[in-house]
Amino acid sequence: MLVTWRYRDREAFIQSFDPRAWIIFYSCFLFSTLMFWDLRYLAYFMVLALLSLYFSRIQFKEMYRALIFIGGFVTIFSLLTFLTGRGGMEVYTEEHIITTISAPFTIFGWQPTLTITVERIFFAISQFFRVFSISIMTIIIPYTLNPAHYGVTFRGLGLPDKFAYAMDLTMRFIPTFGRDFQLTLDAQRARGYEIENLRGGLIEQVRKMAPLIVPVTIHAIIGSEDIIDAMDLRAFGVGPRTWLIQLFYHKRDYALIILSVLMLIISISLSLFGFGKFFVPPTLIN
Amino acid sequence: MDNTLRNVALSLVGVLLIFFLIIWIGGTINPSLQLDETAFLRFVFVIIGLLIVFAVYWVTRENGIWEVGTREVVYMSIGAALYAIFSYLFNGTVFAVPSVSQVALRPAICIPMFFGYAFGPVVGFFTGAVGNMFGDALTGFGLSPQWSIGNGLVGFISGLVWLFGEDRKKSIDRVLIISGVLALLGTLVFFLNRSIPNMLFFDVDAGIFGDQQITLIAGITLLIGFALVLIVRLAFRGNIEIAAAVTWGMLGNLLGIGFAAISDIWINGFSLPVAIVGEYIPSAGPNLIFAAILVPLLVAAYAAVQRQSGR
Repeated sequence: MLVTWRYRDREAFIQSFDPRAWIIFYSCFLFSTLMFWDLRYLAYFMVLALLSLYFSRIQFKEMYRALIFIGGFVTIFSLLTFLTGRGGMEVYTEEHIITTISAPFTIFGWQPTLTITVERIFFAISQFFRVFSISIMTIIIPYTLNPAHYGVTFRGLGLPDKFAYAMDLTMRFIPTFGRDFQLTLDAQRARGYEIENLRGGLIEQVRKMAPLIVPVTIHAIIGSEDIIDAMDLRAFGVGPRTWLIQLFYHKRDYALIILSVLMLIISISLSLFGFGKFFVPPTLIN
Repeated sequence: MDNTLRNVALSLVGVLLIFFLIIWIGGTINPSLQLDETAFLRFVFVIIGLLIVFAVYWVTRENGIWEVGTREVVYMSIGAALYAIFSYLFNGTVFAVPSVSQVALRPAICIPMFFGYAFGPVVGFFTGAVGNMFGDALTGFGLSPQWSIGNGLVGFISGLVWLFGEDRKKSIDRVLIISGVLALLGTLVFFLNRSIPNMLFFDVDAGIFGDQQITLIAGITLLIGFALVLIVRLAFRGNIEIAAAVTWGMLGNLLGIGFAAISDIWINGFSLPVAIVGEYIPSAGPNLIFAAILVPLLVAAYAAVQRQSGR
């Protein structure tokens, strides 16, 4: 049995675009965001992402789990970045220390020390903006893209028929396998398996992951036989393929594509000329 | 087929043209311009990775392994979906994945290796690349497209064993020698640069914040992995399937992850030792241990399924 994403037609503004145009916009958004570390530039993308979320008309109760999960994850990740200063070394070389907090105790001779610098604060905020805007754009896709359009969308984007169909199936299988994984985990737990408490050395711990990975994988392969048979019976891949649904670009789709490509080209050009690098307000440094 | 080649060439020329156009326009505005192309290089490395795959395909295009039928389409999609799910669940956010002396356990890597080995390089590449892409998307981390290509290469190279057909046995020994040399080289770089921090390690529970110097055990994981693969190879001397899967998976991992880590030299501005010791060893080393332990289990289980269903 397939488990599906929570798609329904919400008559939302962003659903009125052709899915191909939306995917092009999404990819351009993704690559453009990757070009920048500057908070001011990233704020623009954040606003764009929040606008898309607003215009998707997804109700809060439908997506609060995903939002909480990703929001929490991004927050924790940014917080860790801030605490450790990790990752920032790629974009800044000099740090301006505001204060240093040392713990009054030591753990095995290691004294926890927290160094707060202007750069770390801004790097954490920038990272939050960057990852969060990409995540928002990503999680609204399964809510707004009609599963019946997956295949023809990727076909329309230039993938060969078979690969477009494989992309279609991949997107459909992900929630199903997520469920299968959960079932397998529950079944193994009922037999006394504890993933939270893997003991032993490195090799022993690796071996103990097999009771989860092997059944899920093999179950998926066995289950695929039915799908293969069903597809073969319908003569999949025998001749040139036609798709049940046809997609047509409208004026607004062309407009969206042109805007997306412009956004990407401008972003690439700006970053090539050195704009949009890591930014700290100069007043804070002095 | 000529159509495909022409399309690939055309899109490459298009990208290069835009690149030069930007440089040219910039040059006319400001002659003393210093271009900063690090962010742009992500594209370039994605294209280079795809080109490598395409070149291998083009050289051996007469071979039957490149044919994609119904079976391959379905295997591609379940491989990619499984890889996405596993890498999402085991990336430390859903389950607290254990890590042993700085070796983060990411067991999902056995999926592209196994699918590449069992169903061919096309399935392997799709599983690795698309699976990693969707896995990143699920977590909200679509930040490093070149790593998707690197993961795709893991599956792709694991699948290249199909090129050898009857000569699998001979190919295994050659692959072992090449991988051994690569593992030794990586470890050598580690011993020459002991002080470089582990860029991929993050242990909150133990209270270790920040870039720890890479530990000895994490540093020699490449050798441990290689030794394990060698043990598996010798232990299953009679079972050529398992031996081939493990050794080719190892080569795929060494080269595929190597591609991604080396590309970070230009993309993130790492030096060669940082890329090797800080990124390559902590990701490729543990992966090898998974290759040695989980891939044989998968291959054995799959062989049992095949016997049962007679396919």
